[in-house]
Amino acid sequence: MNGGRWPMIAITLLRVVVGWHFLYEGIAKLSSGSWSSGGYLRQARGPFAGLFEWLASDANLLANADLITMWGLTIVGLLLMLGLFTRLASLAGMGFLVLFYLANPPFVGYFYSIPTEGSYLVVNKNLVELCALLVIFFTRSGLYAGLDRIVHALLTRRPRLAPAPSVS
Amino acid sequence: MAGHDEKGRMKPDEPVGGSTGYERHDRPARLNRRDVLKGLSTVPALGLFGYAWNQQRQFQQTTAEAAATAPAAPADLQEINVALLGAGAQGQVLTESMLRIAGLRFRAVCDIWTEYNQRRVVNTLRRFKHQVNAYEDYREMLDREKELDAVIIATPDFWHAQHTVDCLEAGKHVYCEKEMSNTLEGARRMVDAARRTGKLLQIGHQRRSNPRYLHCHGKILQEAQLLGRIVTVNGQWNRAVTPDLGVPDRYAMPEARLKQYGFQDMHQFRNWRWYKGLGGGPIVDLGSHQIDIYSWFLGANPSHVMASGGNLYYDPKTHEWYDTVMVVYDYDTPAGPVKAYYQTQTTNGSQGYFENFMGDQGTLIISESEVNYAGQLYRDPNAPAWDEWIQKGYVSAPRVHEAPAASDEAPKAIADVRESVPPDQHLVPVVLRDPYHQPHLQNFFDTVRGNAQLTCPSDISYETAVAVLKVNEAIEARSRLSFRPEDFKVEGATT
Repeated sequence: MNGGRWPMIAITLLRVVVGWHFLYEGIAKLSSGSWSSGGYLRQARGPFAGLFEWLASDANLLANADLITMWGLTIVGLLLMLGLFTRLASLAGMGFLVLFYLANPPFVGYFYSIPTEGSYLVVNKNLVELCALLVIFFTRSGLYAGLDRIVHALLTRRPRLAPAPSVS
Repeated sequence: MAGHDEKGRMKPDEPVGGSTGYERHDRPARLNRRDVLKGLSTVPALGLFGYAWNQQRQFQQTTAEAAATAPAAPADLQEINVALLGAGAQGQVLTESMLRIAGLRFRAVCDIWTEYNQRRVVNTLRRFKHQVNAYEDYREMLDREKELDAVIIATPDFWHAQHTVDCLEAGKHVYCEKEMSNTLEGARRMVDAARRTGKLLQIGHQRRSNPRYLHCHGKILQEAQLLGRIVTVNGQWNRAVTPDLGVPDRYAMPEARLKQYGFQDMHQFRNWRWYKGLGGGPIVDLGSHQIDIYSWFLGANPSHVMASGGNLYYDPKTHEWYDTVMVVYDYDTPAGPVKAYYQTQTTNGSQGYFENFMGDQGTLIISESEVNYAGQLYRDPNAPAWDEWIQKGYVSAPRVHEAPAASDEAPKAIADVRESVPPDQHLVPVVLRDPYHQPHLQNFFDTVRGNAQLTCPSDISYETAVAVLKVNEAIEARSRLSFRPEDFKVEGATT
């Protein structure tokens, strides 16, 4: 990969910890047995609050949103940690984070009654994690250290797909 | 020959040597040892995650069990075999409390919503090592579970009478949720069955066993008489707008089963409290708890009631009962007449719920929710000093009033001769650290063992049912209705 070894190791580390976070967020929800995004969605603020509240208002929609969130977070986390289908996983992870960010955006003038552990203005940790995934997406970290490397090596081994220049 | 894209998906008809995107990176052309090592290099992180998660789970399980498991029962404690009939939200609240009580053995759970409620509670109980059998039909449960000592009933109100009577007649002690029944006829059958069978029947007005309420009643009102003569009472349960309970289609019950058990559809089943014939609306659901306290603390039943209510906010098709109710009761207490106001409204939750007793010497604001109302007592300036009761620990020392800040900007307070001097504020020094329902269930099981007396037996809760159910009648009648003393009694044995 371009840029040398240490930057790629650092990005791999970033990918593993973001993956870890996703995986635990997913597994914790799956194992709690009664987790639902309903409360969170109903608390939504900001310009898109109506959309999230609508999502929470229908039991079927909500049940599906819950399933998608729980399993989505788990699978994205697992893939990021393993470095498998890294770009797809990064995209999906960014999709989740965009939704989380928009449900409670720390924009000027919005006040939250739920205490948070930090102070945020426009940028919060969801947005930071989203940018981390953007880095992972563009640097294709899975190809450096991750199962993607094995998958790709196996595929590119076929001479028809990636003929070595010296052979021709 | 098909190619592959970077995500490993098949790409049909990729030209050989074409731009697959692979060439842009100096990737090895075949799998070598270095690829395998680097490819697998982050897999150990997953192992680390697994280890951390396992540790976390063990920690959570240990703390949950420590919090929920009943304290070690003394060896001679008689184990009580219990069944839960009705595993909805309230059934779960009771289950959580019961898991903290020593000497109980869950044997069975019965709920018609086998797809969801039943499964959830059964799973919870199995996690706590209670091997329970699950039933849809309570009669089958009573037939098969011969060793049951007690049944905890948390079904919708309109089922209470039949469930209670059948369980009592099957020789079980019963703890039944309030409201006793949605009809007085049903409530009478329950009182009658308890008398006939000699089995215990406790009704779930759980404040009757709450140590704070017991302290306020026994020590502050009866013994110390700190309020002097109570002349007015007011109380409320304000609840914020809440959406109807829904259900995902995959958990829906078949229509035939819903009909069999008296429900039109899943919406009615989930929101039965709002429907006439099934529940009694917020005044019965919420007000019943607090109107019960009015009568208990005043030592009397009401003589008259006037009420106004209506469905001001919700869709009347799905909310048949009144979302807003305001009631005034008259009481003739041994100490003199009392006016007692109560309101329940379900469109704004601010100021929550409390009962406020106002006497000529003091005021007591009490609530089951200590977070919002810590049990404040106010001593009127003309009342005798409370020093003795502070020393005895009946009430806390008064809170010191802070002198108003002398700020140039703040307008100077103008003392008006008509204003009363602000009273001292004290607190009720008794707190309940357990779940709200635990002491009431404990009282029931202690009584089953013969070590206590029920704090809310059926004849007492019948009196409350009479007072509360009359409110809906008064709203409809649009006039002041009166009670006769005999209205509060169940005479003789009916069949």
